[in-house]
Amino acid sequence: MLTPIDLTVAQERSLLGRTNPLVKLGLALAWLVGLAVIHDPVRPLLLAVVAVMAGLALGRIPPARLFRGLVPLGMAALSIAVATLVFAAANTDPTAHELLRVGPLRITREAVAAAAALGARVIAIVSTGVVFAQTTDPTRLVDALVQQARLPERFAYGALAAYQAVPRLGQDLATLRQARRVRGVARTWRPRLLVGLLVGLLVRAIRHADQLALAMDARAFGSGPRTTFRPLRWQWTDLAVAVAGVAILAASLARR
Amino acid sequence: MTPVPASNASQSVASPAESRWRTRDILVAAVIGVAFGVVFWAWGLAWSLFEPLNAAFPVARDLLYAVWLVPAVLAPLVIRKPGAALFAELVAAGVSALLGSAWGVDTLLSGFVQGAAAELVFAFTLYRLWSFAVLSIAAIASAAAAWVHDWVLYYPDVALDLQVARGIAMAVSAVVIVAAGSRALAGSLRRAGVLEGFPD
Repeated sequence: MLTPIDLTVAQERSLLGRTNPLVKLGLALAWLVGLAVIHDPVRPLLLAVVAVMAGLALGRIPPARLFRGLVPLGMAALSIAVATLVFAAANTDPTAHELLRVGPLRITREAVAAAAALGARVIAIVSTGVVFAQTTDPTRLVDALVQQARLPERFAYGALAAYQAVPRLGQDLATLRQARRVRGVARTWRPRLLVGLLVGLLVRAIRHADQLALAMDARAFGSGPRTTFRPLRWQWTDLAVAVAGVAILAASLARR
Repeated sequence: MTPVPASNASQSVASPAESRWRTRDILVAAVIGVAFGVVFWAWGLAWSLFEPLNAAFPVARDLLYAVWLVPAVLAPLVIRKPGAALFAELVAAGVSALLGSAWGVDTLLSGFVQGAAAELVFAFTLYRLWSFAVLSIAAIASAAAAWVHDWVLYYPDVALDLQVARGIAMAVSAVVIVAAGSRALAGSLRRAGVLEGFPD
């Protein structure tokens, strides 16, 4: 369950897989901001379809993986849409067009429109996010953040080193739960026990961090100028992907 | 278990006001972020199981909203360095996004605004005050940033009274879960002996 995304060779060698992570991150954030100003259901859904198609065709994401990544989207989109449908400001506006009235609940046409637009917005945000995560290797992302975005290298590589501990944290969690079961604590889902589990997890994580820090200091981490093991260079495909992504967003923002 | 190194090789003594980050500070802050990234991932699953409940009683779930904000206060409370709130919250958001969060790239944006808001409060105290009041203000600031972000992106058409009720629930949640919770967690970690070499 708790496994970081491991890209297949085909995913890594695909056009989107080779595109600079900063370009993809920038585009995903630009689309997010663009989506925040779109207030109809059609354009976000079109953007979501474009993102998913690009992920399949240009990112070579195995369809099963892509759709597994999209599963949480259904719940999220539904939740936002229902909240808006039921609690929209338009429902208490006497000039809005009433569609349905059940007891104190009044649903208007304006509320339905707003709910559809927001559900579509969530679908688009999640789709771009899944395509980004499924075409981007975390190590390359951090390399690009350090080499090209000039983020402080000690923090970026420190975070990457900590991120590598995720599978280990998963194992620690399993061990902690087994230890509890041995002691006869069966119901692990009570809040108190979950907090105890969290403390145990943090203790193991911090001990691991101490060992990592010691090992990294022993190799003079961050103490002088750094050479790069995996130098990154801008490619013409980066420009092409950036231009295409911006053009699609601009087209959907311009369209009425 | 191997003994815990109390300090690292390059700088064995650091006063609390020292703002340069030791490698150990970076790794501990990052690992708090990573552990909470894992928590966020699991919490995100629980969060979506509450969906039907949320549709009926929309404010109830927001009483648990602040689970998303804990690293923004816990990490600076442990490390006491400038930038710890933003760094740990961003790492947590990034890890949960990479593990597959329901909110895609917006996880990063949320993490940024939540971490930055708490960071501003700690910066305002020049990273010298760590009382419960300061922790609470930082937690509420982080919740306020999340509230504005959610309003703009996800609830722009929802009635004002519900927005205000959500805001109040999130603020209560921030004080209880983030401020009191971080204090309790830091206390437990100190008693477990893993925070030697960090300021009390």
